[in-house]
Amino acid sequence: MDSSNLSSLPEDGAEGHTKQQEDQSVSAFASKPQRPPSQSSSEKYSPKDWSEYFDKEEDVKIPDSDNIFHVYMAGSEGPVVFCLHGGGYSGLSFALSASKIKEKARVVAMDLRGHGKSLTDNDLDLSVETMCNDVLAVIKELYGNSPPAIVLVGHSMGGSVAVHVAARKTVSNLAGLVVVDVVEGTAMASLIHMQKILSGRMQHFPSIEKAIEWSVRGGSLRNIDSARVSIPTTLKYDDSKKCYVYRTQLEDTEQYWKGWYEGLSDTFLSCPVPKLLLLAGTDRLDRSLTIGQMQGKFQMVLVRHTGHAIQEDVPDEFATLIINFISRNRIGPNGVEIPGLRKPAFSKP
Amino acid sequence: MDSVPSDSHGNLDEQISQLMQCKPLSEQEVRVLCEKAKEILMVESNVQPVKSPVTICGDIHGQFHDLAELFRIGGKCPDTNYLFMGDYVDRGYYSVETVTLLVALKVRYPQRITILRGNHESRQITQVYGFYDECLRKYGNANVWKIFTDLFDYFPLTALVESEIFCLHGGLSPSIETLDNIRNFDRVQEVPHEGPMCDLLWSDPDDRCGWGISPRGAGYTFGQDISEQFNHTNNLKLIARAHQLVMEGYNWGHDQKVVTIFSAPNYCYRCGNMASILEVDDCKGHTFIQFEPAPRRGEPDVTRRTPDYFL
Repeated sequence: MDSSNLSSLPEDGAEGHTKQQEDQSVSAFASKPQRPPSQSSSEKYSPKDWSEYFDKEEDVKIPDSDNIFHVYMAGSEGPVVFCLHGGGYSGLSFALSASKIKEKARVVAMDLRGHGKSLTDNDLDLSVETMCNDVLAVIKELYGNSPPAIVLVGHSMGGSVAVHVAARKTVSNLAGLVVVDVVEGTAMASLIHMQKILSGRMQHFPSIEKAIEWSVRGGSLRNIDSARVSIPTTLKYDDSKKCYVYRTQLEDTEQYWKGWYEGLSDTFLSCPVPKLLLLAGTDRLDRSLTIGQMQGKFQMVLVRHTGHAIQEDVPDEFATLIINFISRNRIGPNGVEIPGLRKPAFSKP
Repeated sequence: MDSVPSDSHGNLDEQISQLMQCKPLSEQEVRVLCEKAKEILMVESNVQPVKSPVTICGDIHGQFHDLAELFRIGGKCPDTNYLFMGDYVDRGYYSVETVTLLVALKVRYPQRITILRGNHESRQITQVYGFYDECLRKYGNANVWKIFTDLFDYFPLTALVESEIFCLHGGLSPSIETLDNIRNFDRVQEVPHEGPMCDLLWSDPDDRCGWGISPRGAGYTFGQDISEQFNHTNNLKLIARAHQLVMEGYNWGHDQKVVTIFSAPNYCYRCGNMASILEVDDCKGHTFIQFEPAPRRGEPDVTRRTPDYFL
């Protein structure tokens, strides 16, 4: 450990390390020449609080049920960008991008069933139908029967939920759909490998810092700041094992996986709102989406230099893409606002 | 008639026959070729006049063997006159060979072939959809990509066949009422993100009347009323364009005021669509010729990386 003057800085929740460091100031090493400050591992990977990025959090209780969904909110004007995270993530996956999007729009990021701080009667029912119902129930609780313009944004598993919510055509003021790095063809092809990939993950962490460090070093997230805010809510403390484990028991939800992705491409194309598909790196379009894209039915952007969680790895670029999508499609707080659209822009003299 | 001195034809003819075998030229050969092409293209109009008979073709997207099939079916250049409406590169595996061949044919037979600019003939798009990476792979550096994308700036944007068929890659623009509007702007630049030049390369016809926001994120959608008005204003019979995949290879729209032509069969090696070309004969009659993918010989498999996640 470095004998730098950093030892006096506070560390959130990094109990255990702090005491040791306090002692260092009187150790023999204290007389070593000053070096440029370098961060200790626990500091570099220390957790960050949601409140740095969102304005408020709320528990949304669904009437006539035991279900409570946790939502994070940011921004005060413009349409609502309603964000749905991927499997095993949480609403805080959108924290960094929310802090930028909120300059132009309101952001709501919810913890889906079995994830983050949401509490439900059955955390293992991750069927796409149930998750759709949850999202619709939360929107209803937040906005009643006259919601503002909503742009649904879904990452991976959440992308499937977003598509299915949009396809139900029951959100009266849905103004746009953004799907982040999920394509039916490749998702279906990868399902057979998933149990192995899940079990191949590191499962137990002595500290939250270690889990954050693992997520970055293991490559699942490439942005330390995002990992510091998003990873803590994906964990829970296991008293019997005396360590942190994953909050979401994905391996027990296998029966629903196929339902997330089967028919997703055609369902996406059928949604009657402006659509944006963000893909990480290379083109992974399946046949339906290749045809749809080549017929000009949706906008696709390949985002470079990012992993699967585009919104976490390159939050500023992600936010800009969302804001541009909103402004290009003239989505205002109450819906599409296009003076004179559908009228010829010029008339014969 | 040809602007290239006859003593260089031998060399150029050799290069064309080499390209016809899907073998790329050297970087130096590409450099010389593109310098000649630039001289020819820079004096062409933004609305390049074209005489019939001519065969009008849509997107190729680096599907070299299908381009070779197109020439087998439509006739060799210069026996047949050709008008290509852009999107030579990206997506397919042989963008380099495809665009080099078309440019070589342009230099060899400048009066026999017209090559318009598509939205993929751009620095930005080619860095995302394959041409840039292919150049790196085949030449070890980006010089050839730079040479071609610099040349793309000179490609004409539209063509006019016998004053009655208006040909372009994408579609109409709310900022353009007349062909003279197009003739008057400076096209030698990267395809902008918005504005009339962008619209010509990005817009699509739509069933809804009027102008609409394009779902693509660039250009506009335009309805039948817009097409009728544009054709009437400019004394046109037809707008021929490419840009959209159509399963039969061609598709009439707007009560036969607009036709879409797509010349990349089984696009991206996965879409299962037919391709087509449109022959316009001496008497301005129209014949569509459809074709299927050329038989494949040892083409790379379409393997996409299976992601190591699904969450």
